[in-house]
Amino acid sequence: MRKFTRRDFLKMGGLASAGVLVSQRLPALQMLQAVEDPLKSYPYRGWEDLYRKEWRWDKVVRTTHSVNCTGSCGWNVQVRDGIAIRSEQSADFPDPEYNPRGCQKGASYERYVYGPQRVKYPLQRVGERGEGKWKRISWEEAYDIIAEKFLEVAQKHGTDHVFLFSVIPAMSPLSAGAGYRFGSLTGCVVGSFYDWYSDLPPGEPMTWGYQTESCEAWDWANSRYIILWGANAVESRIPDAHFLTEARYLGAKIVTIFPDYNPTSLKADQYLPIREGTDAALGLAMAQHIIARGLYDRAYLQEQTDLPLLVRTDTRKFLRQADLEPGGRDDVFYYWDQKAGQAVAAGKQNLALGPADPALEGRFRVQTAGGEVEVQPVWALLAEKLNRECTPEIAAGITGIAASVIRQVAEEFATTKPAMIIEGAGTNHWYHNDLINRAQMLLPILTGNVGKNGGGFNHYVGQEALKVPSLNQWFWPEKTRWQNTTLWTYCHTFGRRTRGVEEGWMPLYPKEGDPKMMIVWRANYLNQAKGHEAVLANLWPKLELIVDFNYRLDTTALYADLVLPAASFFEKFDLSTTDLHEYIHSFNAAIDPLWESKPDFYIWKELIQVITRKARQKGMADFANLYERWAEMGETPEAVAQWALDNHPWTKGYTVEEIKKHPVRLKRGPNATAGDRSGEAGFTRNRGAFTPFKEHVEGKEHWPTLTGRQQLYLDHDVFLAEGEELPVYKPPLELEKHPLHYLTPHGRWSVHSTWRDLDWMLQLQRGGPILELNPQDAAARDIADNDEVILFNEHGETRLRAKLAPRVRPGTVIVYHGWERYLFDRDSGNWQAPVTIKVKPTQEVEYGHLKFRLNYWGPTGTNRDTRVDVRKA
Amino acid sequence: MSQRQLAMVIDINKCLGCQTCTIADKNMWLRGPGQEYMCWNSVETRPGDGYPRRWEKMGGGFDANGEVQLGDLPGVEDYGVPWEWDWEKLPHIFPRPQPSWGPNWQEDVGEGEYPNTWYFYLPRPCNHCNKPACLAACPRQAIYKREEDGIVLIDQERCRGYRYCVRACPYKKPYYNVQTNKAEKCIFCFPRVEKGVPPACVAQCAGRIRFFGFMDDTEGPVYKLVKKFKVAVPLHPEYGTEPNVYYVPPISTPRVGNNGEPQGQGRIPLAYLESLFGPSVRQVLDTLRQEIARARRGETSELIQTLVSNQRWRV
Repeated sequence: MRKFTRRDFLKMGGLASAGVLVSQRLPALQMLQAVEDPLKSYPYRGWEDLYRKEWRWDKVVRTTHSVNCTGSCGWNVQVRDGIAIRSEQSADFPDPEYNPRGCQKGASYERYVYGPQRVKYPLQRVGERGEGKWKRISWEEAYDIIAEKFLEVAQKHGTDHVFLFSVIPAMSPLSAGAGYRFGSLTGCVVGSFYDWYSDLPPGEPMTWGYQTESCEAWDWANSRYIILWGANAVESRIPDAHFLTEARYLGAKIVTIFPDYNPTSLKADQYLPIREGTDAALGLAMAQHIIARGLYDRAYLQEQTDLPLLVRTDTRKFLRQADLEPGGRDDVFYYWDQKAGQAVAAGKQNLALGPADPALEGRFRVQTAGGEVEVQPVWALLAEKLNRECTPEIAAGITGIAASVIRQVAEEFATTKPAMIIEGAGTNHWYHNDLINRAQMLLPILTGNVGKNGGGFNHYVGQEALKVPSLNQWFWPEKTRWQNTTLWTYCHTFGRRTRGVEEGWMPLYPKEGDPKMMIVWRANYLNQAKGHEAVLANLWPKLELIVDFNYRLDTTALYADLVLPAASFFEKFDLSTTDLHEYIHSFNAAIDPLWESKPDFYIWKELIQVITRKARQKGMADFANLYERWAEMGETPEAVAQWALDNHPWTKGYTVEEIKKHPVRLKRGPNATAGDRSGEAGFTRNRGAFTPFKEHVEGKEHWPTLTGRQQLYLDHDVFLAEGEELPVYKPPLELEKHPLHYLTPHGRWSVHSTWRDLDWMLQLQRGGPILELNPQDAAARDIADNDEVILFNEHGETRLRAKLAPRVRPGTVIVYHGWERYLFDRDSGNWQAPVTIKVKPTQEVEYGHLKFRLNYWGPTGTNRDTRVDVRKA
Repeated sequence: MSQRQLAMVIDINKCLGCQTCTIADKNMWLRGPGQEYMCWNSVETRPGDGYPRRWEKMGGGFDANGEVQLGDLPGVEDYGVPWEWDWEKLPHIFPRPQPSWGPNWQEDVGEGEYPNTWYFYLPRPCNHCNKPACLAACPRQAIYKREEDGIVLIDQERCRGYRYCVRACPYKKPYYNVQTNKAEKCIFCFPRVEKGVPPACVAQCAGRIRFFGFMDDTEGPVYKLVKKFKVAVPLHPEYGTEPNVYYVPPISTPRVGNNGEPQGQGRIPLAYLESLFGPSVRQVLDTLRQEIARARRGETSELIQTLVSNQRWRV
């Protein structure tokens, strides 16, 4: 393809007068055959084949992309002469409402496959880290360097000095798991991502004992009242956003709650312009009103939640069997049965209450081993606290939302069923995200909307659910050194230890000394690190070898020592699942791996073979059988995939060959696709769709929490000390003394850092990093549209271009997430430069159901509580 | 007039502004030399200057006597120079030339003061008009309207790049290719349509906002939305070209007081919508509101079922 230059283009502007051309070309015109009436018929249509020839291909290969957007879309790649020329959505999901799945980024992925970002050969750094000077080496040399360093570190320091980082197995689990399994077998440290990226909604493990569970997107259309709360679905959930516009047509009311009037709010029936970071106050005030008006589902709360459980007013702890009987259990809790007139142990069999009528209100006295004490149901504590601290009038002063509006939305939410909240990063990325979650979750809980189609609290930030569950057995054959990455980065960057680490609630590796080696694949650790500047300055020098497997030279690759060329998404087989739909489908190789690239699975395989061979030569018994152990479930991604499908009831019966051809629906929940639906025109409400928690709400199974119920009260000492045993509003942190709130939402033009540097995407933005601010704030700083500005605070400075947008709330500035460091100026930090790392004490507590697990429970790496200012450059 | 006419309906209420249509179109037809700057299909944030910049002020179309008018010729800066990045310059790369305008420069800017800012998306392919001003203006008679489907094409062999079409089209949808010295434009993906496949921008629309088919197909969604329910209207009917792309106009998110109090009236001024879609917008919006209200009451609405349909095209 000939490159089009600026000079060529400028010619066009110079030829302003077409008349000149006409006279120059007049001879040609005279020789031309006349057309009688081109509106009626045109005799020279043979040329049309010019375009017909463009729409042809040798073969079409169905595949998907491995990016953490939760899309899990289906794409048909058209291949001509061995080149992937373009792709279109496959539109082959058996529920026609899911078609077509795929956005503008997916549609331009070919430009990465063949783009200048592509890593072609194994590269070894020859300049300084980040300087971009490389030497091409062979795969043998690359494996040799990594294997020697790994064995050296293992021998001298132990493998807990080796940190492995790869994100979101759901988006390509065989590529991820090949390295996870290596980590598990060798004792390397495997870092979390879901909490580090603050995608984990901590309120869910706290309240429900689950990591995250959400309905499939189809279920949005079953709802009659949808609150999008910090979830900018129109920009960040492009394949599913139509379910919202369609739900609205079908009669659902759409309410949006954001500080900025964002694209999702264009589709709203009501927009609440909330003051940034005050969401918990709004949620609690709505809850207060629902309680005050008696609009809650009493029977549901008695059965499903800890609200009837009794709390001692003296210790503020739950009344436990151990309080009542010597040798009594710590995990037996009580409610006050109004029929029996006494405290009764909550059933351990299931949630069914039978004839009991647990009290919600009141104060009671019970005789404990240590004397008589006063107890109150959690409900009473909650109601009193809300009446005292968070009425709509109080919340109005905090949130900037009038009390009348808070009442109106609360009443509508409570009386229009089913009603759901979709929450997103806009609320989940605040330091007190757990409190915000718990306040939001109160609303569907109080109104009995949890566990019902069209209802619930649904969270789609990141993608935690691996819906081929048996792969977890393949990932983790041994007890693994799992590591919360927020703590790993925080402690090793700032040389600090946290209470959770000191108490042994949270692991920190290595136990002693500094990490020595890091391998990153399927991730962009450095670019996305909160505290980016400090990480680069303090943590990076500790790492003696940084290896990155990547198909593109992203920021982490740029700052690595060795970069191995990974196959692109069009050059390998893998599986893919998401929270947003209930299908498993696959990557398939449309073309052979380009240049010297290889699929991640095979890079790991070959590296492990080299390590094993060298370990045998060196007599290192720990790794002498490493490859054989690694390969136990299969030596190809297809073999491992088939093993995994065969070993779980959700997937048993499916074959890799079938999944390569088309998506298959998970064997759980209602079968929304029953029968052939391809001829159906449109939505019919109340059709089956997956929504979580029916086993508890309908099946009466206990929730996996300490109390076995949806647990709103957490009586651990840290929670009591922080005043967070119940949901409460706490204002955003004010660590930096600057006037503007720095907001970094997920946007439509990238999936995190991916696509940030793609020409077509940049062409449809402003060509580079931009900061959006309200014209008032710009005027106060003498900033005009497209001016170069400096965004700053004590942590760092970033140079970018200003975009003046009245939709931005005054007092806030927006830089959409994910800009690669190399898109900024030489003397500029990246978009994370003003953001530091903060660890919230309640999120590292060990308590009942809250126990460290990878990506399930651990401190989140939040970024929103950041104050900045902006000046003209 | 052609014997049959293909037409498109674009539902602005469902538009996500994601530009998947723009990219689908570029992937399909716009990867050749000279096409880098082009978006045959563009999506612009309105109110705003659009693509090319201030196209509505450039003239063209027909006057009261039916005479075709030659408007201004957009310059390079009105489309936006396609930036280039020199990857040899790592570790820092920049767009060149320095960006000052682009096809989506005013994305999500809009008008009005916070919290009553207002904006919406306006996707724009070629209108394949009944009375194409481009065709009327072409001195070489290199533009024609296909009898079988009404698609308007610029003959890439006969065209000599005079750009009368660019000046005459009031929607500024023909584009001049400096490499081939020809004008080109959206072809309604006729090679696909001939095989029963809808245009790329229709098939690939993630928001499921586009409907496509023959206007005389009374069972098709286009006929239903335009003729039967009368909720889809053309853009700038006053230009006199009789477009075959129709829009379901945007229902406005209600205005709010400073503390979020709903204020009843929509934030998009009706007069603004009328300036784009003509005086029938008021009636269209009333119809849409009534039908949504019926859906809220649990009644079945054929109009609503059409707007959320899985069957958005028949070709």
